[in-house]
Amino acid sequence: MIPLKFLKKNEKEKLLKKLNEQFGIKEIPWEIARLGKERIILFSGDISEKEIFELDDFARIEGIGLYFAKEQNEEIRLSIEGSQLLKNQIQKNIFELDEKQAEQWMLGQELNIKTGKKGFLIMKFKDDFFGTGKASENKISNFVPKSRRLKYKEAKIEE
Amino acid sequence: MKNPRRYEPKPLFLERMKLLFPDKKDFNSYLEILKKEPVRSIRCNTIKISPEKLKKRLEKKGWKIKILFENFPEIMIVENELQPGELGRALEHLLGYYYIQEIASMLPALALNPKEHEKILDLCASPGSKTTQMAAMMKNSGLIIANEVKFGRIKILASNLERCGVMNTIITKRDGTALCKRFKQKNFLFDKILLDAPCSGEGTIRSTPKTLEMWNIKTIENLSKLQKSLIASAIEILKPNGELIYSTCTHAPEENEEIIDFALKNFNVKIKKINLPIKTQQGITKFKEKEYSEDVKYSCRVYPQLADTEGFFIAKIQKLK
Repeated sequence: MIPLKFLKKNEKEKLLKKLNEQFGIKEIPWEIARLGKERIILFSGDISEKEIFELDDFARIEGIGLYFAKEQNEEIRLSIEGSQLLKNQIQKNIFELDEKQAEQWMLGQELNIKTGKKGFLIMKFKDDFFGTGKASENKISNFVPKSRRLKYKEAKIEE
Repeated sequence: MKNPRRYEPKPLFLERMKLLFPDKKDFNSYLEILKKEPVRSIRCNTIKISPEKLKKRLEKKGWKIKILFENFPEIMIVENELQPGELGRALEHLLGYYYIQEIASMLPALALNPKEHEKILDLCASPGSKTTQMAAMMKNSGLIIANEVKFGRIKILASNLERCGVMNTIITKRDGTALCKRFKQKNFLFDKILLDAPCSGEGTIRSTPKTLEMWNIKTIENLSKLQKSLIASAIEILKPNGELIYSTCTHAPEENEEIIDFALKNFNVKIKKINLPIKTQQGITKFKEKEYSEDVKYSCRVYPQLADTEGFFIAKIQKLK
């Protein structure tokens, strides 16, 4: 059975409070569910929760909706799609990359840089949102999955 | 290493294709285009970016972009030469701004024309090119059930849906026929179904010349049985007046017209004409000793030499009340 649990109103409010504190996100107009322990997904499909579990009974659901974020130690880490989807609402904890850093980031490298911040930051280059990094004292750790990284040294992100 | 364009067509394959192209000139232009690499086509993922913005971005990289159809600005061709794999390695691809998809493969979803709030079944969904296209056409609303029977192919389907920001879809893993039977038992019906059936792939020779080496008539016969079983089960779970697109990337009539003929003769359905933005030929009504219903001519044969694409077959049927 798929380990899926749709958030109730109060759970959604709690999550939104965290998203607001971390990134200034105030509203999510879709269904939110937890998939397994950490993953949070968004789902816009027109089907009831009851029907989803009935479907899982006979059709074996392998995936649902869009992976949007992970909750780690009470903090929210947005996926690339999560950051793109809510980019118009994101106001806080944004790290603006320059061209060289953007390339490093999309190559999957951590950035050796002091931001003066600790915790999750939205990584952004011009209009592009690259998901979240985790800032510690001297660096920003990279979470870009391998399949989404630039794969060659001469990678060039255009100005 | 063997030159990938050097696979020789088997004599029986050529004999059958000659029957499809009685005019020698057509047959020769078909053979000629098989030697040519397919054009580099992409589909702008309108869930994430507008075609205008994407075009501008790609042109800034030095790519020469052509929008092929005024009514479908999301369909683009990269006209300049690129390094091998460059389309897939580009940042815009990694960020999900476009999907690399052959033009002929975009046609089934255009023909199905899924609307916002409709309930759609994509019965053989992996790798997800048509699923992501439909999700974009539906503006991430309604519902898509994207089924795939092979576990290995589920991963690529899921990864493409994620990269494209698709949110209205549930992925299931069942044998297509069995899944439809269970939907029928539960009275879970669909407005529209895309049955992009597993096929012998004769239409993909330009991009995968090895298909010529793997081709054999037994596979076609076996696939034809599977395709009949799939279409029969899928029709059962269409809502009254619901529509089904049957498509393959092959030219073999046993996998195409014969399947539509089977549906028309055994179910309460009719075939509907399709308007596609490229030149196609109508379905055939006779192949070797077999004759098909006259209405089968309303299906579309997409031949590579007609519009510089891969080969495809597309038919739309509607369930009657």
